[in-house]
Amino acid sequence: MAFSPAIANAIAALCLSDESRSRTASLSFQDAGHGYDAFGMHPSYVALGEVLVSPLYDRYFRVQSHGHENLPSAGPAIIAGNHSGNLPIDGMMVWLDVLRHSSPPRVARPIADHFVPSLPYLGTLFARGGMVGGSRGNARTLLDSGEMLMIFPEGVPGIVKPWSERYQLQHFREGHAELAIRHRAPIVPVGIVGGEEQLPALFSSRRLGKLVGVPILPIPAVPVPLPVRYHLHYGEPIPVHEEFTPDQADDPAVVRETADRVKTAVEGLIRRGLDKRNGVFE
Amino acid sequence: MSQQSTTNRVLVVGAGAPLGEALVRRLLADPAVGHVVAATGYPADTFPIESPDKLTVCSVDITRNRQLHHLLFDTAKQLRITTVVHTAMHLSATDEGPRVHAYNVESVRNLMDHCERHPTINRLVLRSASAVYQVQRDLPVLIGEEHPLNMAGSAPQWVRDRIEADVWACTRMGMGRLRITVLRMAEVLATGTGSQLFDYLESPVCFQPAGFDPMINVLTIDDAVEAMCRAIHCAEQGVFNIPGADTLPLSEVILQWGRLGLPAIDSVLTPLYRLRRRLTGHDFRYGMNRRWFIYSGVLDGRRARETLGYSPSHPIDWPVPNIPASRETPPVI
Repeated sequence: MAFSPAIANAIAALCLSDESRSRTASLSFQDAGHGYDAFGMHPSYVALGEVLVSPLYDRYFRVQSHGHENLPSAGPAIIAGNHSGNLPIDGMMVWLDVLRHSSPPRVARPIADHFVPSLPYLGTLFARGGMVGGSRGNARTLLDSGEMLMIFPEGVPGIVKPWSERYQLQHFREGHAELAIRHRAPIVPVGIVGGEEQLPALFSSRRLGKLVGVPILPIPAVPVPLPVRYHLHYGEPIPVHEEFTPDQADDPAVVRETADRVKTAVEGLIRRGLDKRNGVFE
Repeated sequence: MSQQSTTNRVLVVGAGAPLGEALVRRLLADPAVGHVVAATGYPADTFPIESPDKLTVCSVDITRNRQLHHLLFDTAKQLRITTVVHTAMHLSATDEGPRVHAYNVESVRNLMDHCERHPTINRLVLRSASAVYQVQRDLPVLIGEEHPLNMAGSAPQWVRDRIEADVWACTRMGMGRLRITVLRMAEVLATGTGSQLFDYLESPVCFQPAGFDPMINVLTIDDAVEAMCRAIHCAEQGVFNIPGADTLPLSEVILQWGRLGLPAIDSVLTPLYRLRRRLTGHDFRYGMNRRWFIYSGVLDGRRARETLGYSPSHPIDWPVPNIPASRETPPVI
């Protein structure tokens, strides 16, 4: 980063409450020396991330979340949810929600598409907050060291899906299910409601995306995201770590079936969220 | 970690460079080592260490197969050498050509041929480098031994030679009675080790690609020597990553080194550092290191920890005092 962790810490000290600062200070992570983990995460930048995301979380999107008790307090875990909204704001909301509501505090490590680490500044800022590139090796290392991952199994097709397909889950990839079985991690499904309406797109262009280094570029109908209210619903963990042995990660039928179970659980949580909300902005 | 029971008698190839010299010093102090032969490209009488009972110094041009043969089948045979440690690498990334290739690759090939036929040598430890690995956005940050190698056709000879020597050694593993260990070391941040990063940090102002701050792992000579000693005494063979105790972002390395880091557009850095090479005689090639300056790549030392019992324990003493103003690359060729 262009500034040191001490400056990030100073900004956090100015902007965050004592409780928030003590929460990020007590984060447990694999310090590879100099306060960073091997992927570049640093608690001071996590605190800075909280400073940056909190106004969006508290005031703009006024996030309401349910089912925190389903977040494991320790050990490897995968949070799997629906992806939407043309910008990864849903990931940022879940990231901060988990940081605030897990006990002891944990960082949900977002697994991003390969293009994200190659984005100047953003890639570095996200990495300092815990994001890692979506390679199998990275996910394996984090799960082996007992971290909690945040995966959107729909990937890019989920986040850029057209308005007409809102809240309809795209194809669920299977990587998260295979990782969970192989590394004995429960999967916590999360239904994210609100993101679909934040930034309706007129159309999406792969050609324009290539110019700026992303797979596809949505052209939004509004200049800034709308102040929709986010509702996060965490479901009961799917205990794949108890139901399967690691060897069964090589069984395509088991992996597909697990991915389908996760998809069904996320669909149910989205439906519950949509039924409960009183409107897009409420 | 399984230890060899017999006393080792060790030949160190590349003893004239700082890493080889540090290894010789360490081996001389090791009671489990019976005798040390230091093969250096310098005249033997200029070698800075003396130990008449335990040390033999030989001046050898390892690009000459005949001299290498004499070293092994004359001196080493008489002294009943059991282990060869090859630490020699041509340091400059700007030098290219058949003689550099002979130094980096043919010497390894010839050395292994001789060792496989040698009556007393049963072990070879080869120093390799993290530069053999490919680093790109869709590959893991933590680099295991099975990580893809940098086989890009555009890779300069400095990289290609290291890969060729490394792969050559790997293909001979388990093919004969010679037990081979390849140590892929993180960048040794010290003078005279061929470290591109060290050369980069010699400038008072260090330019880095704007918007990127990759995680880097660096090694000290003490830890590199520790890893080689453990490889000498371990009965196992294989490929092992040797990380250092310091894992930190590039900007932090620059800061800790007492340099000023400035962001610059990626596309201007290659010509900028080419100009620096031409004007000042420095060695750092941005194009060769570009991916390491954009994407994080940190060696995973799990296998070395489990098999060799190696864990980095000598962090760099930041800030490094008295960085030499002039270059001190020894004349290895």
